[in-house]
Amino acid sequence: MSFKRSVALLAVLASTCSMAVLAASDKVLDKDHEYMAVTNYPNNLHIIDTHTDTLFKTCAMPDDFGPGMLQISPDKSRAYVLNNHYADIYGIELDSCKVVFHAKLAQRSTESARSMFSMAVSPDGKELYSVVNPTEKNQDHYVVGTPRLQVYSTAAGLDAKPLRSYPAPRQTYLMQMADDGTLFVVGADIYTFDVNTGKYDVALPVRNWKRPNYSAPDVLYFWPHQTKNRDFSILYTAAKFQDEKQDMATAEYKYGYFNINLKTNKIEQRDFASLTEVYFTGMRSPKDPNLMFGVLNRLAKYDIREQKLLQTAELEHSYYCVAFNTDGSKLYLAGTFNEIAIFNPDSLEKIGKIKLPGGDMAITTTQVFIR
Amino acid sequence: MKHLKPINNKAQILLQAAQEDRIEEVLAMSSVVGCTSTTDPGWEVDAFGGVSSLCQPMESDLYGCSDPCWWPAQVPDMMSTYPDWNKDATSSNESWRNLNTVFPKDK
Repeated sequence: MSFKRSVALLAVLASTCSMAVLAASDKVLDKDHEYMAVTNYPNNLHIIDTHTDTLFKTCAMPDDFGPGMLQISPDKSRAYVLNNHYADIYGIELDSCKVVFHAKLAQRSTESARSMFSMAVSPDGKELYSVVNPTEKNQDHYVVGTPRLQVYSTAAGLDAKPLRSYPAPRQTYLMQMADDGTLFVVGADIYTFDVNTGKYDVALPVRNWKRPNYSAPDVLYFWPHQTKNRDFSILYTAAKFQDEKQDMATAEYKYGYFNINLKTNKIEQRDFASLTEVYFTGMRSPKDPNLMFGVLNRLAKYDIREQKLLQTAELEHSYYCVAFNTDGSKLYLAGTFNEIAIFNPDSLEKIGKIKLPGGDMAITTTQVFIR
Repeated sequence: MKHLKPINNKAQILLQAAQEDRIEEVLAMSSVVGCTSTTDPGWEVDAFGGVSSLCQPMESDLYGCSDPCWWPAQVPDMMSTYPDWNKDATSSNESWRNLNTVFPKDK
C-alpha cells in the first residue's frame, strides 16, 4: 500500500471512529430501563445496560479524574460527579453527555477547597449539597478554614455559586438527603442538617457512642450508594469486650453497619459478623435484607440475624465496591482496576464481567438506576 | 509510643501531645479526612498482623490511595501535590512501569 493511500485510509478510519464515538455519546437512555453508571480514568462516565451487561455509552468528562464519585439525579436524567481532584462538581446530562452544571468548590482565588465524597441531591432534584474543607496556602502561613455546607441550585449552569452556605462539623464525608428534606451527614458522628437554617444535630453518635462494653468504632467508608429501598449504609468495626474491664486480649472484634432509611429517617445500628477479614463495602440484598454481602479480597455473604458467614467466593483481585441490580438478582463488583465482575448472589458464582474502556475505577461508586 | 520513633515534624507533634498528657485528643480514625498521619495498617501489614487482607495485587489499591492523599508518605499525593503522577499509567495493572518516584521541589 502506498504511503498516500494508507494516509487516506487512516483518515477515513479516524473519521469513522470519531463519528462512532459521537453517536455513542448521543445515545438516549431508554425509559424504564435499568442501567449502572460508573466512572474511571482517564476521565470517563460509563453507562452500562444491566439487562445485557454491556457498555451502553461513554461520556468523556472535563478536567481531571478523582474520585469520580457520582450521584444520579432523582429524575435519572443527570449524573453529578465529584471530580478534578475532589475540587469540582459536574452535572452531566446522561442522554447527551453534555456538562450542564459545574461548581468549583473553592470560593476565592487564594482558597483551595476539597470535598471528601460529600455530595447529595435534594429529592426534588432542585438543590445540590456539598461539605467542603477550605484551606489557604500563603507565603508564610497555612490556614485551615471552617468546613462549609455549600448549597447550589442545580439550574445554576456552568459557573454555579452557592445559594447559601453554613458552617459544618469537621471531618465529615458521605451525605444523602432523606425524602422529607433532612440532610444526613456522616462524620465523627451522624448528623442531621437543616439546609435552610444551617442548624445541625447529632442524629447518632459514632465516635462518641456509649455502647456498653464496646470500643469506639472504626469506620472507613466512602461509597454512598443510592439504593431502590432508600437505604444509606455504612460499615463499622469495633471491639466488643467481655466485661467492664475492657481487656483487649479477650475482646471479640465485630463488623456492623449503620443504616439510615431515607424514607423514614430511621437509623439502625447493628453488628452482623465477627471481624475476620476486611471488607471495603457491604450491602444488604434487596431480596432478603437479612443477607449482607461484603467485598474486598473475597466476596462474602452473611446471615445478619445469626451473625454467621454463609458463603464466600474467591476473586481475581481486590474490588472495593459492591452493588446489586434493583431486583437483587445480580451483584456487581467494581472499583480498583477497569473490570466489573458479575456474581449470582444466591450461588456466589461468577456469571460475567464487563471490561471498561480506559483505566482504573479506583474509588468510584457504582450507581444502579432505572431511567 | 514505646516502639515508634518520630522522624518528621508531624510525628514529633504527636509525640509531644502524648507527653503533655493530651493523648485523648488523638482519636481513632473514624472518618475519611484526606491527607492524614495515619499509621493504620495497610500496605505493609493488615489489621490482623498478616497480609491476607491487604489489597491484592497492591496495584489495585494504588490510585484508591493516591487520589485521596490517603498515605502521602507511601504514595504520592495526587489530590494537591502531584496531580499528574499517573498520567502515563491510567491503568495501573497494565502500565505501572510508567510510574515514577517523586521528589519535593526546591522552594
